[in-house]
Amino acid sequence: MSRLIPTAEMTLGPFFPREFAQGANDLAQGASGEVIEITGRVTELDGKALDNVILEIWQADAAGRFDNPAFSGWGRAATDAQGNYRFRTIRPGAAPGRAPHVNFLILYSGLMRQLQTVMFFDHAVDPVLAVVKNKDRLVARAEGQNRYRFDIRLRGGEETPFFDD
Amino acid sequence: MAIRIEPRDPLTQAQGVEAGYAQTARRWPSQPLVRRPLGAAELSGPQQLARRLPPVKGDLAGYGDKRAIGQLVRLRIRVLDEDGAPLPGTVVEVWHCNAAGKYIHPNDTHDAPVDPNFYGAARLVAGNTGLIELRTIKPGAYPVPDTGGWWRPPHVHLSVWGRVWLSRLVTQMFFPGEPLNEADAILNAIRDPGARERCVARLVPSKTSEMIFEHQLVVRGRKASAGMP
Repeated sequence: MSRLIPTAEMTLGPFFPREFAQGANDLAQGASGEVIEITGRVTELDGKALDNVILEIWQADAAGRFDNPAFSGWGRAATDAQGNYRFRTIRPGAAPGRAPHVNFLILYSGLMRQLQTVMFFDHAVDPVLAVVKNKDRLVARAEGQNRYRFDIRLRGGEETPFFDD
Repeated sequence: MAIRIEPRDPLTQAQGVEAGYAQTARRWPSQPLVRRPLGAAELSGPQQLARRLPPVKGDLAGYGDKRAIGQLVRLRIRVLDEDGAPLPGTVVEVWHCNAAGKYIHPNDTHDAPVDPNFYGAARLVAGNTGLIELRTIKPGAYPVPDTGGWWRPPHVHLSVWGRVWLSRLVTQMFFPGEPLNEADAILNAIRDPGARERCVARLVPSKTSEMIFEHQLVVRGRKASAGMP
């Protein structure tokens, strides 16, 4: 069977409509599980904060199941002018063979392709975390009860590890 | 349905840092991207996304005394997977600047007129054959600030979802015969001429008041059984 070649990815650009960027960062509403908040800052080279970066997440439900019809597990947030984003969601359970985690996809001007990374809650045994050199950078920092901080440094010092698939 | 994702081909996908597009050198990671084992997390995806992202604005050209200025066009965009199977029900986001090259976004500082009757953002859901149709106006060209003369050719931004998390596709659609296409740093970041060609829409005959452009988007992923040795 012949295969079609996937369309070339291109940058999102700086002008992704605000109305698309907003309104999808609360996954917890109507979901069962422990509500958590994930916040962070997205920076480029030299630590400069970036405005209107689009982050999309994909995670399992509280029982570790992906795409539960009652909990979609998908969300989107945009950074503000200070580079900060925020998600409200529920704590994902452990899917078979995996530690609890949240998958992140990053889209922005200057990124010709999407970037993929993963947030973990602790230094767990996990086949994806295992292939990363700077594991610390993928483990969120707990900031009080049910609040996590996950900063994303696209390039430069303390650069976040990203995946290619 | 089990889905297989193959690694990106460096000829048909951009590689990150691109000469002529300075921001890539500030934002694309300096460290090599890591290959990870793929499992249920990466090979599943939201199946009912339209519930979270409801359709908005199925027409950007407007009617009556609310018509946008510009060449009327109709975009017919089909979304397929690598097997050529259409993706009915998939969400497609479309955004572009007005005929003068100005976006609705507050961060756009380009000194070009705003069109009060043009709102350049639509979200549609593909029909049974994976097709979306959008009536709009043709976007203009605009200069990219601080680049010493880089002008973006007319283009339409597209964001679509495929069958799984790794099928996500964000890209741009270009118009045929535009002289600015030849020098655009974004289009030409794609090394393979055929792959660039597939980012340019096709003008088809029209007997209506709209120019019709057809385009095809192929998202990553094919049936896990198809073509397996």
